[in-house]
Amino acid sequence: MTKKASWLKPEYIWKVFGIAFFVYLFFGFMLLPCLNTITQIFTVKGADGQTDPLAVIRFFFAGNMPSYVWNSLKLAICLVITVNIVGVSIVLLTEYFDIKGAKVLRLGYMTTLIYSGVALVTGYLFLYDSNGMLTSWLVKVIPGFNKEWFSGFRAVLFTMTFACTSNHMLFLRNAIRNIDYNTVEAARNLGAKPFKVLLKVVFPTLIPTLFSLTVMTFITGLCAMSAPTLLGYDSINPEIVRLAGSSVADEAFPQARAALLSIILAMFTIILLTTLSSYERKGHYLSVSKTKAKLVKQKIQNPVVNVLAHIYAYVLFLIYMTPVVMIVLFAFQNYPAIRAKSLDMNQWTLINFFGQQDYEFLTNRGKLKTRVGSISGLFANADTVGGIRLSFVLSAIAAALACVIVVVAVNYIFKNKNKKRATVLEYSLLFPWLLPTILICYSYRTYFNSENVWYVFNTNLYWKENVRFLIVMAYTVVKLPFALRMIKAAFYAIDEELEDAARNLGASPLVTFLKVKLPIVLPSVLAVFALNFNALFTEYDMSATFHSSYGKSYAMVIQNMCAEEGRDGYNVNASGRRCASTVFIMIVSGLILYLVYGVGARDLGERLAIREKRRKRWQKLSRGSTPAPRTARRGRAGA
Amino acid sequence: MIELKDIIVKFGDFEALHNINVDVQEGEFFTFLGPSGCGKTTTLRTITGFIEPVSGTVSVNGRDITRVPIEKRNIGIVFQSYALFPSMTVYDNIAFGLKIQKLSKAEIDKKVRDIAQKVDLSDEQLKKAVSQLSGGQQQRVAIARALVTGPSIICMDEPLSNLDAKLRVQLRNELKKMQRDFGITTIYVTHDQEEALTLSDRIAVFNKGYIEQIGTPNEIYNHSKTEFVCNFIGDINRLEETICGEMKLPETRHHFVRLERLRVNRPKDEGELQMQGTIESREYYGLYIKYYIRVDGQILKAIEKNDGINIYEPGETVTVGIHPADVMSYDVPAEA
Repeated sequence: MTKKASWLKPEYIWKVFGIAFFVYLFFGFMLLPCLNTITQIFTVKGADGQTDPLAVIRFFFAGNMPSYVWNSLKLAICLVITVNIVGVSIVLLTEYFDIKGAKVLRLGYMTTLIYSGVALVTGYLFLYDSNGMLTSWLVKVIPGFNKEWFSGFRAVLFTMTFACTSNHMLFLRNAIRNIDYNTVEAARNLGAKPFKVLLKVVFPTLIPTLFSLTVMTFITGLCAMSAPTLLGYDSINPEIVRLAGSSVADEAFPQARAALLSIILAMFTIILLTTLSSYERKGHYLSVSKTKAKLVKQKIQNPVVNVLAHIYAYVLFLIYMTPVVMIVLFAFQNYPAIRAKSLDMNQWTLINFFGQQDYEFLTNRGKLKTRVGSISGLFANADTVGGIRLSFVLSAIAAALACVIVVVAVNYIFKNKNKKRATVLEYSLLFPWLLPTILICYSYRTYFNSENVWYVFNTNLYWKENVRFLIVMAYTVVKLPFALRMIKAAFYAIDEELEDAARNLGASPLVTFLKVKLPIVLPSVLAVFALNFNALFTEYDMSATFHSSYGKSYAMVIQNMCAEEGRDGYNVNASGRRCASTVFIMIVSGLILYLVYGVGARDLGERLAIREKRRKRWQKLSRGSTPAPRTARRGRAGA
Repeated sequence: MIELKDIIVKFGDFEALHNINVDVQEGEFFTFLGPSGCGKTTTLRTITGFIEPVSGTVSVNGRDITRVPIEKRNIGIVFQSYALFPSMTVYDNIAFGLKIQKLSKAEIDKKVRDIAQKVDLSDEQLKKAVSQLSGGQQQRVAIARALVTGPSIICMDEPLSNLDAKLRVQLRNELKKMQRDFGITTIYVTHDQEEALTLSDRIAVFNKGYIEQIGTPNEIYNHSKTEFVCNFIGDINRLEETICGEMKLPETRHHFVRLERLRVNRPKDEGELQMQGTIESREYYGLYIKYYIRVDGQILKAIEKNDGINIYEPGETVTVGIHPADVMSYDVPAEA
């Protein structure tokens, strides 16, 4: 009897349910689909109908496949150099050196935080493509200038160099702000010149962060998707997507080749991340100081160098800001102005955002024709609204799901510290980190595109609307490692004595979790939710890999806008809508970042202080307005 | 009131507490004193129930509570970090335990305000977040939170260690006053001997998981039972062979004399050994001056009240007197 009762205890049932869930998640949505992708490579059938395990590998070396790998590697290596040069210089220019207007410069350099991926690439295209504003200007100024200069490797490298400095702005900036200024002063005091101080004192403390950033940039370069796709560069990821959508009738075993490419990508990622974590494990300490002095900006003493530094800073600022400013301005321009890519001060409009208009145009025969409702705003265009809605819902669900899964898991991990089961759980949630996003998505696409997967009730998850579930799962799984790292860090901040105090005051583990621990980690959890949502809302790589009209995300819609523009009067203002979309994304991302870092980062004390300030202001206002009616009455009486 | 009997605590293979026996009387201010890692906090956590001993019993008023869950022990605790819930206001922090007990809102409000008044927290402070309070105020919140549920015992784990020196002295006095006013049995953990001596009715001195001595502050200081206690409490001079020989103290033992018991440039007392010494250096503390005096090849430390008249300069010759009654002698420890 007693034994039976203990089996039915709610804690026990929760534990069994939890274990079952994580086992299901790990095997069902991480391991098995990816293993299936690996087996695809070795189960290819040759022309004789026999399985030929090495066929794809032979094909790899015989065909042009290595060129995709080489192209990706070339991009990754070049990006590491260019991104580090630009990234380090923008951080030094805004945080270390005394550059006039640093605050404005910083805002410019940070724009990539609020728009990235497809939105950013289309922004650059708007300026630099064959009929882009800058290209047109260059053609005018330099006769014989190649109009097509902004395509292929050069364009991808240029765009990604500036797009990928967001991490430098977040992490390297933090690292440089954490430098103990006393160490700089000590070096100066011992006779080191400013450049020597920078090289020998400041840089060494930044090396761990720079190393992580380099690895991250390398992986970003290898796994680049939106820039190569839109700017036309044959790298691994776009090729995987192309092959995944191809059929055996068109070319030799496309799926197996896609699988091989994604596994090659995974191998590179694993090697790089292992190097990174073994480097991190060695332990690097930024500062041993207990009483850090705040960094004081260094004036560049040499006037020539100072002027050059200022020029460099503002040229970079222009590169960062011009696409943003142009896109914002053109988002409010009529389609003729956008098509001509010249600002027209008389053509301001909101049509790219709201409402519909008819489009009148002259046919080749000189007839005036009207297309009803052919000009439509972002929020009036069914396709765009559909994309926004789908991305919004899928991203919100996935971001929330990732947070809930990770919070429950981290709570368990902390409760079972130093136990094997906690380590197993942690590593299984970190597993997707080792795999390139495209491998996960491609694996889902091929593995679940059948009715033979028993643990999803033999349902084809790639079929019609089911793909949305698959996208949510891919979004969630891909975001688990990031959520785990961030939320685990937040749990570390919980003083263990708080839990003891709650227990001492009689609180059960559940009450302690809900009332004491959760409110402490909640700002971090919300921040993770917001950042994940932000990234997923405009993500392109994953939905493009799924390549399903039922899973057409917002970024895919934006990408399509480039091709849609003005075909026989349809979607005339697709470019305008594209600009409006970027503005919309910037507003959404900006708002989320403000909520996370501005509002969400406030502790209870700061919140209460703000409330108190508001209350006092309100009291002052209401006190100020009290005599007003009296005066009015008197006035009336007087009248 | 609280009785610890033959308590043994192990962490894996490591035995943290070896046969701890303590008997704390009702209303007593009892301090566990010792260096870091000596087992004092482990003993406190055994009393509160966070640690379960391998053997031995914890009893309160004769009732064995060794296996009683933490929340049912009716023992309040003030943590070293105060462990105030940062996401709650001061009021909610204090009310937390009462809410768990499911008291009515009115009852909770009354109790919170009563205790807040007793620990000198204003209504305005109750509305604040804990981060908006000073260290001293936070300590009062922690005490109020621990006391509001009406525990029979309160345990404090180094509650003053996070504060600066001046505030520490001020709060030490407030703490003693509060304990006296509430009349609650208090177990206090500290590594600060001055704190232990000024606050406690009785002290247990811990070392490597053992209790070396239990006694009143006077007993601990003036009649240290072991060499460890005599060394740990206050500064002390260990007498070397020459002086021991002159005083005819047995060589088989270690002999110590406290700094304030050395008589510098005073008329010779009966039975006292008086020697010539030279001032090597001095440390000026304001209230007193500490002299380093070379006597018979050994440096002896002595402190003299700063009366502003008799201040000795380095190089000056002085007489140093030691009374045999002031010498504390111990058998040589086994490892020495």
